[in-house]
Amino acid sequence: MGFIQDVLASFVAIMPVTLAQSLILAFVVLGIMIPFRMLNFPDLTSEGAFPLGGCICGVLLAAGASPLVGIAAALVAGFAAGCCTAFIHLRFRIHTLLAGILMMTMLYSINLRIMGKSNLSVFGSPTVFDWVPFARPGFPASKIVVAGLLALIAFMLLHMFFRTEKGTAVRAVGANPDMAEAQGINVWAATIGGVGLASAFSASSGALMVQSQGFADVNMGLGILINGLAALMIGEAVVGKQTVWRQLLAPFAGAIIYYQLVSFCLAAGMPPPDLKLATGLFVLAMLALPSLKRSRGSAPAREAIRE
Amino acid sequence: MLEIRSARKVFYRGQADEKIALDGLSLSLATGEFGIVIGSNGAGKSSMLNAISGALILDSGQILINGADVTDMPVHKRAAKLARVFQDPMRGTAASMTVAENMLLADLRSSKRTLRQGLNATRLASYKERLSILGLGLENRMDTRVDLLSGGQRQSLSLIMAVGGSPDLLLLDEHTAALDPRTAEIVMQATVRAVSALKLTTLMVTHNMQHAVDYGNRVIMLDAGRVLLEVTGEEKARITVIDLIGHFSVKTDRMLLAS
Repeated sequence: MGFIQDVLASFVAIMPVTLAQSLILAFVVLGIMIPFRMLNFPDLTSEGAFPLGGCICGVLLAAGASPLVGIAAALVAGFAAGCCTAFIHLRFRIHTLLAGILMMTMLYSINLRIMGKSNLSVFGSPTVFDWVPFARPGFPASKIVVAGLLALIAFMLLHMFFRTEKGTAVRAVGANPDMAEAQGINVWAATIGGVGLASAFSASSGALMVQSQGFADVNMGLGILINGLAALMIGEAVVGKQTVWRQLLAPFAGAIIYYQLVSFCLAAGMPPPDLKLATGLFVLAMLALPSLKRSRGSAPAREAIRE
Repeated sequence: MLEIRSARKVFYRGQADEKIALDGLSLSLATGEFGIVIGSNGAGKSSMLNAISGALILDSGQILINGADVTDMPVHKRAAKLARVFQDPMRGTAASMTVAENMLLADLRSSKRTLRQGLNATRLASYKERLSILGLGLENRMDTRVDLLSGGQRQSLSLIMAVGGSPDLLLLDEHTAALDPRTAEIVMQATVRAVSALKLTTLMVTHNMQHAVDYGNRVIMLDAGRVLLEVTGEEKARITVIDLIGHFSVKTDRMLLAS
């Protein structure tokens, strides 16, 4: 009994911190979901865009810029990175996953160049979390309020956008690019814009994370993609993905649930180094589930890539 | 009006399997004319349609729609002038989107898409009315994802999507070939009604010789990337399936099977 009480006590104690963290990281999950589900463009750029946003924000904060400027710069840089990935895929007909790997590898060097060193402390710099009234700066409550508010705004804007004429056209590009083109939709513009937007979200998440944790690190993106995918899978399992509304809610719900799960596992004594293995096995299980349900026999030697 | 001026396209140029898809093909279709394109496999029918829609870039030659040169226009720009129904019902619709959303996409084919709300009450009502003409009950399934519809329903939807907004040119690429005979007949009748009611300039590719005899006011037979035969006016009205098959040279047995 004593063990269970200890586990629960330490889990509950870090719950608000985890919630704040998950709301910030929900933007990466959003940045993974949009290309993956809306554009049928499995994309890995977020693994590079997240630290890109972090590094840019870190350098700007260290130079004394406003935290808002840091976030805005991260958004712009992330957008550019996403556009590059989409362009590489469209122009040179390189697989989306390979285009993403190329981009995130190149971004690693770029991030190092931006910071000039592998990590940078910005502790004590003003952050967007300082602006919440009645909350002591640096405590989870202010982070939850700011990140939650931003998440709500992003959710509502995206929900509105995907129901507009332009938004419907973007979704059509994901559903059937040939048909979209035949209906007068510029597939290049929609793909580049959509993937760019997604990477902009990933980068803004990095910028918020740097302001939250007080330092920037070129390796801060390591494994963010697999965490994000796991969160997305959980979100889709919980809220579904049948409608635009549910599909957009899934990243946020998934991020919140996933990071609480992780924190519970750690509180229960799971060694942190095993975390990636566990996450990977979980994502594999979620992806494998449909094919296990469909047939008991072995799958054909080479089916289309499962998404 | 559609005009093709000595269109030429060679695949695998300079290689052992070089294939001349279009060999100086010229064709003109007056406004409101309904042309039926026939020809054996490999005669260049699909290449011609692809060249018109922009999916295939010509080596040389010109394509004009209503007098405007569209030869160098990308597919999505030409879409403002032409609509196409494919043989495969899956190609002409967005499977994971609803019937209403597909109608919206087609509705906006030739206009600029804005940041205003896509589906509204006015549009939904007009889409329902247009779909009800088919008599397939699609008007009651506006929120159904298209991949839950049957092939015939999807193809009927593609047709309604294509004729909406009266395109300058309607391309039908064996659009009833993948359907069962009864559904094919429903889609064909809906096609003929729409084409004559809206006076659409239409080009229909078919392997069905009976369709070539029954419909349209011009029959165009392609062979080896060129127009082999054009029948129009009085002569078209009198032509029979036997006459048409007679024009197929040695490769006739495949066509007989197809008819």
